[in-house]
Order: sequence, then C-alpha cells, then structure tokens
Amino acid sequence: MNKILGFAAASAMAMMATTVFAERENQLSDERVRAAIAYAIDMDTIVETLFEGKAIVADSMIPNGPYKAEGLERYAYDPDKARALLADAGWDDSQVLDVVYYYGDQLTADLMVALQAQLADVGVQMTYRKLEGDVGGQLNALPEDGSDTSAVTWDIAYGAKAALALQEYYNGYQSGKNSYTPGDSARDELIAAINGTVDVGAQQEAFKAFTEFENSALSDIALYYQQLFIYESNRLDRNGGQYGNDQFVYDWGITDWTVEPDENGKSVMYTNTAPSTFFDHPWLNPGIYIFSKVGLDRLMTADGALAPTEGQLAESVDVADDGMSVTFDLKDGITWHDGTPLTVDDVVWSIETAKTVPGINAVFSSTFDAISDMSVDGDKITINFGTLDPNMLLTFSQFAPLPKHLLEGVNPAEFQQHPFWQNPVGSGPFRIEEVQMNDFVRFVPFEKYHGGVAKIEEIVAFPSGENDGNVIQNAEAGRLDYGFTKSVGDVQALEAMDHMNVIPADIPYTRSLRINKFAKIAE
Amino acid sequence: MLTFVIRRLLVTIPMLLVISFLVYLGLELTPGDAVSHMIDPETASRMSDEQFEAMREALGLNKTFIERYLFWLGNVVQGDFGHSLSGGVAISTIVLDRLPATLELSVFALVFSTLFGCILGTISALRRGSLADSSLTVFGMIGVSIPEFFFGLVSILIFALHFDWLPVGGRLLPSYDSYIDHLPNIILPGLVLSMMMTAGVMRYSRSAMLDSLSREFIRTARSKGLPEWRINLIHGFRVALTPVVVLIGFRLPTLIGGSVIIEEVFQWPGIGSEFIEAVRGADYPLVMLIALLSVLAVLMASLIVDVLTALIDPRVRLS
Repeated sequence: MNKILGFAAASAMAMMATTVFAERENQLSDERVRAAIAYAIDMDTIVETLFEGKAIVADSMIPNGPYKAEGLERYAYDPDKARALLADAGWDDSQVLDVVYYYGDQLTADLMVALQAQLADVGVQMTYRKLEGDVGGQLNALPEDGSDTSAVTWDIAYGAKAALALQEYYNGYQSGKNSYTPGDSARDELIAAINGTVDVGAQQEAFKAFTEFENSALSDIALYYQQLFIYESNRLDRNGGQYGNDQFVYDWGITDWTVEPDENGKSVMYTNTAPSTFFDHPWLNPGIYIFSKVGLDRLMTADGALAPTEGQLAESVDVADDGMSVTFDLKDGITWHDGTPLTVDDVVWSIETAKTVPGINAVFSSTFDAISDMSVDGDKITINFGTLDPNMLLTFSQFAPLPKHLLEGVNPAEFQQHPFWQNPVGSGPFRIEEVQMNDFVRFVPFEKYHGGVAKIEEIVAFPSGENDGNVIQNAEAGRLDYGFTKSVGDVQALEAMDHMNVIPADIPYTRSLRINKFAKIAE
Repeated sequence: MLTFVIRRLLVTIPMLLVISFLVYLGLELTPGDAVSHMIDPETASRMSDEQFEAMREALGLNKTFIERYLFWLGNVVQGDFGHSLSGGVAISTIVLDRLPATLELSVFALVFSTLFGCILGTISALRRGSLADSSLTVFGMIGVSIPEFFFGLVSILIFALHFDWLPVGGRLLPSYDSYIDHLPNIILPGLVLSMMMTAGVMRYSRSAMLDSLSREFIRTARSKGLPEWRINLIHGFRVALTPVVVLIGFRLPTLIGGSVIIEEVFQWPGIGSEFIEAVRGADYPLVMLIALLSVLAVLMASLIVDVLTALIDPRVRLS
C-alpha cells in the first residue's frame, strides 16, 4: 500500500515538475527585445522596394494626424542598436521565432523573406508560415482565466487593422481580451480614457497619451500604413464630388456623377464588387461592395474622412448636450426600392436585429451595446444610451437600416443565408434592376430617391471581391470606370493606362507585427 | 451488352457511397469549418464562443461527423442536396446556374479538340516525315507544354486588348439580347481550352494511325486494290480510333471540373471556380455534390468507353 502511495506521490510531483518546466520564459515579453526587432526592420527600404513607395512607414498603430503624439520614436533601421539591445536582454539566439500570417498574396510572402533576412542579420532567427483553417481561432485564442500562459502557438503574427473608429486600434488590448498582450491596469485606464468622452479635444489628448504608452510598450510593432487607391476612367466625372475612404460610405455625390455616353447614347458606368453567389450584408463591411455603396442609405452621412456631417434618411439629427441620446427625424415620404414606406419601425427593427447578428462591425456593435432604450414619435426616433459611446454618430453614418417587411423573423445566426440577399431591396440612389448572379448586376436610378434622381443611367457591376483579380484586363478593355484597390501591383498597371486615373487616399489601415508576450509552453 | 451495362450501373451505387464517405471524411479532416472561413480573423477576435456556437448550430455543424454525413446522405437520397453554408442558396440552384456555363465551354472544347485532333493527327500520320508532320508535331509539343493560364493571358492580350476582336472575358453582358450575342465570349476561352486538348488528341491519333497503318490488314487491303483513301480512312482510321476513343472518353469527366483555370482567367462563371470557392470555404454540401457529379462522370465515362470500344472494334467482347 505504501508503495502505491509513494508511487502516486512521486507521479504527482513529477507531473507538477513537468508543468512547471513546461512553461518557458518568453523573451518577447522583454521590451528591449521588441524594440530590437523594431530597429532590425528596415521599413523605409521595404516600402521603397517591395511596395514601390505605395505605403507609408508607420510609427504607431493609429494613422498620422491630430490624434497621434508628436515626437514618437520611429524605430528607424539601426541594426547595431538592435544587436546591443538583444545583448543587453540576454537574447537566446538559438531560439527560432514562429511567425505567422494569413494573407495569400505574393507581396506578403516577399515581406516574410525580407523580415527573415533582416532579423537574421541581428541574430534573431525566424520561420514563417501561413495560417490555414480556423485562422481566427489560431490568432485570437485567449489564455484561460487567471492564466498567463499563451493559448496561441505563434510568437509573432503579421496582420492588419482596418479601423472605422480610432478606438478600434486599441480596444482589443483590454485585459483579458487579447491573445498576445497580457492585461495591464495602466493600459486599461488609457483605453477607458479614449472611450470616455465625445469631446474631440479630450479624445485627442487621450489618444496621444496612448500612442506614447504604446510607443515604448510595443504591443504591436507597427510596420506601415496601407493606402487605398481609387481608380476612375476618363469617361467618369464626379462633377465636384469629393474623394475619401472608399472602404466605407461617405457623401460622394454620386447622383451628380456623369459618364460619357456609349455608342448607343447611354451613360453606363462599369464597376466591380458585384456578388458571385449572394450579396454581402452591409452590417460587417458597410462600404466595400457596390450594392452597399449605391443601394443603401444611412440615417446620416459623413465626409470623405468619415466625419459625420448631416442627415441622409433623416431630415435632422439632434444630439443631446451630454451625448447620451440622439434623435433622428426621418424625411417625409421616403420609401424602399419596392415602394414600401421606410419608417422608424425599420430603423428600430434594424438596430435590434443587428444587436443579435454575430460578427457585425465592431463600431456598430459598441454603439448598439451602449443603447439603453429607443422611443418613437411619428417620424422621430430617439435613441438613449446607458453608457457614453464616442462613435455613435459614426455608427449611424455607416449603418444601413434594412427593410423589416422583407427580413422580419430572420434567424440572426443565419442572417447572411436569408433569401433576401439574392436580390436585396434598398433605399439608396440606385436600385437593382437585374441580377445575373456571377455574371453581372445592373443598377438603375431609383426614381423616387429623396436626394434627386441620379444622372448616370445605369451601373453595371461585375462580380469580384475587394481584391478583384481581373482589374487590369477589365480596365484595359474599358470595362471598368470606377473601383478601388490596395494592391500595389494593380496600381502600377492602372497608372500606366492613359485612360485611367488613380487617386491615392490615406485610410486607417495599419499593418503590424503582433508580438506574443505571454509565457509559452515549451515544445 | 445490356446485362453488362446494368451490372456496371449497379456497381456504381456502392462505389458512389464509398467515395462520398471518403470525400466527406477528407473535408472533415481539413482544418477549420464553414463558420471559421466565413468570419475574418479581425471580426472573429470580437466574437464570443456563444456566437460561434449559435452559428454552428444554425448551420448544423455542431453535430458529430457521422451524424452530419448520415443526415446529408439521407437528404441526398430523397433528392434534397441541401443549401450552401455561406450564402444559404439551394445547392441544386447553384449547380444548375453554373453547370450550363461549364458544359458550354467544355463541350465546345471537347468537340473542337476531338474533330481537329483526329484530323490533324491523321494528316500527320499520313504525311509522316513531311514538313506538315514536323510542324504539327511541334504544335503538339507546344500545346501540351504551355500552361493553360499563360496561353489564356497571352490570347487575351493579343485578341482582346491589342486587336479588340473579342471580349476580354465574362459570359453574359447586359447588352446581350440573344444567345448569338454571347458567342464571341466563348471563342477565346473555348479555343484556349481546346488547344491543350487538341494537341493531346492529335499526338495520340497520330501514333495510333501509324500503328494501324503498319498492320497486315492494311497490306491485305492494298493487295486487293482498294483506293488509298478507303484504306486509310475506313480500315486504318477505324482501328486507330479505338485508343483515341479511350482518351476522349476519359476526358468526359473534365466536362465538369476540368476548366477551372480557364474559368478563372476568362471570368467564366462556371462550376469549376465555384468548386474552388466551396473547398476554400469548407462549404461541404456544395463540395459534396460537385465531387459526386465528377465521380459519376468518371464512372459513366468508363462505361461509355467500354461500350464504344466494343462497338468500334469487333474483337472486343463485353463480359
């Protein structure tokens, strides 16, 4: 019996010892090591060569502008400094960092090769691999409650953050919500500060404080700001309509756009981002796809920089002084494309439904979670907030109400699978006239549009996602009058075409290296 | 022959069952599921486990592998192929939408390549060693060596962009009123797809024809004083046709999935590109149906080849 007990005790001790020794110290948790990695990467050269100058070297996650502190350390290429920092930190140069990414393009693969060479130059070895399968799970798995041992297997993840609101860059760092940055009360306070006010000046100060904090903490090593490139053919004229962040929606004045008539005298604008099997719903990506852009209106609109400006479906927008409620007064006589009146019921239903649909836009989600109640009075809807949401107007400038009479009763978990998305009905300046799924979608002006009937007689959209693999051949063949891309290769080819104009737009889209600072399980 | 055909058709059923299980198992073993492919990593980082679970439950992905397979199989037997997990569209609708486009392209290529491959291969064999034979041999080598996508891109560059003779891609445009309008769209992708197939058929029929022409029955036919065209085409070509028919028969399955690359290059909305998307997105009901159609095509092609071979060559007996 004693033998058995002794054996059991020895086994338990051995297991404990195994557990203790299974965790290894993660040297990436040392700020000096992260700084060394930042210094080891020559982003200026990478941008000039790999990206052909079509990107901006980043010094923080948020883009340049009034929200960023001045004088941030740029971590300009300095391999000697990197080596000194690594030596100071006692870097174990026998370890090989596991770097992961999830993009399938050649540019990313080339970037990995460059990073591998530059890090090797200062004594940091790395391998790289593309994540397959459940990418979200592999990137985002959180440590168990109370544990500081990583639940993800990688050391560094290359990824992007495309933000609608600047808070999106940093809210994910909150304690217990991040797979690679351990909780920190100081950081949590700074996050609360950027979310705790609608006062622009106070927000800017809070963001500046955060950028300074992160500039040394380096939760992410920001690499570059990706630009968006809007391309248009010479046939198209915006007639003074502004340019902006075309990944979202803004007041671009499309009803005034004109296109040179074709041989039949008809003004047809050709574009892309039509669906191949179903129309993507607009509550995740509100402005990527053409139907979301021209087929749907919002309660209010925004300028090119996405700053909310004035009502769109709403005649007026009244925000309470304390920012805790907003009232929209809908325009008289507005209808959906099928002629059904668009009412406050549609708006209330849309907000309530969106709250239950998984995976909607993060900014929308934050706003709707903050709502305490909604009340309607005739054409007016008043939305009250239980907690302050600094981006509520931004949300209502991007969130498109959908027709309750066609979607009521939908299972939120199967929202995208509803038959509505085969031929959706909208409220914007163009309505769908014909859907030849995976061939083209034809839009025509909505005759009863509250903002006036559009001048372009027809929009023909060909199927593609955001990354249209056929941009160049379609543009060359005169089958593309408008679109946008982030592909550097496409931009160069478009710029070489005499009949195409390319307009760069600075957007909040930052590529970075996420550094896993949690303790790791030894292999 | 009828007994043979019925027996082969009956054997098809257990084969389809086994293959469907293996394909389903293969999908199960690939990492991730439809939900993890639907949600981008950034969005996934904000979603709770409960939300993921609700989506999986709604799509029936929370059941065990065997439960899901049997459920799918039970529905298929009743003629219900299910719905696409990504967009909720009935699988039968997707396949019926896409398959005609692919068949249009593939049948064009198959007919074109069979006719021209046989004709050119026969000419090449009859003019063995001549300039025509050498030229056709070079053409055959080029045809089987150059990748389809490269050939497709070059043809777009020359015929669509430089000369502006043909459309750059796509199948239907809003301006098309009738089927005739859309014929120019099929020429480039159809010919590019045909080129690769023509080269193969031509090389095969050339060697088969040369083999046939060296047989004793050809000498016998000549000694009987038959005209040369009759010897070559009636006696020689008929025998040479048997291996060519086998080759063409085994190309029948490509009618369904063999034009994926061409569909991508020419923006052709066929089933091949849909299959690729379905595999990427772990959309198993769609993958299963397309895979089963391909398997069925292979089995049917094998049967057709056996029957045709017996019809063409009297020495072959089906048993």
